[in-house]
Amino acid sequence: MRTLSYLLREAWANIWTNRTTTVVAIFTTAFTLACVGVFLLLYVNLRAAAGWLQDDIKIMVYLAEGLAGSTVSDIEQQLRADRAVGALHFISKEQALGEFRAQFPADSHLLEGLGQNPLPASFVVTLAPAFRSPDAVRRWAERVAAVTGVAKVDYNQDWLDALSTVIRSIEVVAIGIGLILSAAAVTIIANTIRLTLFARRDEIAILRLIGATKTFIRIPYLLEGAVLGALGSTCSLLMLKALYELFRQQMRTTGRLRGLEQLTVFFPLSICLLLVAIGVILGCAGSFLSLRRFDEAKV
Amino acid sequence: MHLRSQGTICAGETAMIQLVHVTKQYDRRPALCDVTLEIPKGEFVLLMGPSGAGKSTLLRMLIGAERPDAGQVFVNGKNLTTLKGSEIPYHRRKVGTVFQDFRLLEKKSVFDNVALPLLVQGISRTDIRRKVTEALRAVGVEHKRDQLPMSLSTGEQQRVCIARAIVNGPVVLLADEPTGNLDPALTGEIIDLFKLINARGTTVVVATHDPSVMTQVNRRVVTLVRGSLMPELRVGV
Repeated sequence: MRTLSYLLREAWANIWTNRTTTVVAIFTTAFTLACVGVFLLLYVNLRAAAGWLQDDIKIMVYLAEGLAGSTVSDIEQQLRADRAVGALHFISKEQALGEFRAQFPADSHLLEGLGQNPLPASFVVTLAPAFRSPDAVRRWAERVAAVTGVAKVDYNQDWLDALSTVIRSIEVVAIGIGLILSAAAVTIIANTIRLTLFARRDEIAILRLIGATKTFIRIPYLLEGAVLGALGSTCSLLMLKALYELFRQQMRTTGRLRGLEQLTVFFPLSICLLLVAIGVILGCAGSFLSLRRFDEAKV
Repeated sequence: MHLRSQGTICAGETAMIQLVHVTKQYDRRPALCDVTLEIPKGEFVLLMGPSGAGKSTLLRMLIGAERPDAGQVFVNGKNLTTLKGSEIPYHRRKVGTVFQDFRLLEKKSVFDNVALPLLVQGISRTDIRRKVTEALRAVGVEHKRDQLPMSLSTGEQQRVCIARAIVNGPVVLLADEPTGNLDPALTGEIIDLFKLINARGTTVVVATHDPSVMTQVNRRVVTLVRGSLMPELRVGV
């Protein structure tokens, strides 16, 4: 207990002794992590937008001509039992014709000359969220197209592929920038801890001589790094939140984008806590790097 | 000392410190040349020699801060040549060290400075208070316990340094030029303190370049010159 209180006091003493450096390090880390956060926020919002767009993707399952009512029922049962199917809506030949006439009143005379209704009955299918990737959609469509009584399965493959590529690109950019800026945050914290270690090198030498273990010597500096990381990431979240609210305010006052601000989202609490935890890990990593280098120096 | 058939050397049962054909170089400059030395338990040894003779290198080897290029070093039955890095702190807890420049923490009180070796071992608060008080009393600075080191005289600072070295009850006390910053009167007081500690059974090794210390100690004298041991002197007992 006395040892723990000593280690905590030493960590606080480190922070307090180098308070100017500490404050500068916290804000530099905060700005660096805020840059990561901007990309993360952009990614979260685009991902959400992509999710809404994917929700809108409907797959048309056209039925063959002249199917008995029982066969249509069988196909419907089969589709409803499929766990990939989120929602299902049947459009009969008559409904299809009615919709065509409603949507294209000027061209409805084109169907008059054919004598009979050429439009097929169909099921409009929305897939469950877990089955909306381009590959999953393709596999599902191929499988359903082989069902007896199904004439054709139609959906917009190009649109799905493009959407998927955009999401993947954003992911790659976000991860790349996140890694580079995280390394920058580690370096900033490592330099701050190095300054503390340099300032207290005599004390560390004494501790080594009197039989302190590496762990005992390291803990205050690891705690210092963790505090720097936690405060840096918390500040970055506050900055991001302020910027986010400012952005929403601007959108509200800009006529053409009004209403769009309702669709934007900020990080949920779980992500905020995760970002603070990442800050702590980055801080500890920075301390650890400096301690490793410092350990190479002799007593 | 015993020599085993396979060439492994074992410390003698009564030897507290043993150096066996120890050689150490820094940038191809010899610091210790084939030094073989045995110091029995409870002995007081004065390690003499001019600056750069290798005294500090030898003491650093005894606390595991240096490893020899050749030869073996035994302290308290442990072969420091093969000791793992993680075991060295535990070895140092049994060896007290005193320095010419005291190496006290300026921002900590006398009490906290002396308590440090106990703190790193996780000793209880009550035991720390008792042991630190005993150590400070033994060196005669108990009344200065709440002061900062910089407010003390050099002699008192050296006493605090000695208190820190003995607070653990070490089996060996090593002192590197402990009287280098002290006037002759204070030197005598510090040497008397070392004799007192030695009388309680602790093996004491004092390294100095000051010949006047030799007459005050009147014990075994080991002399190093350019890293080599000279024939020994034994002054009085």
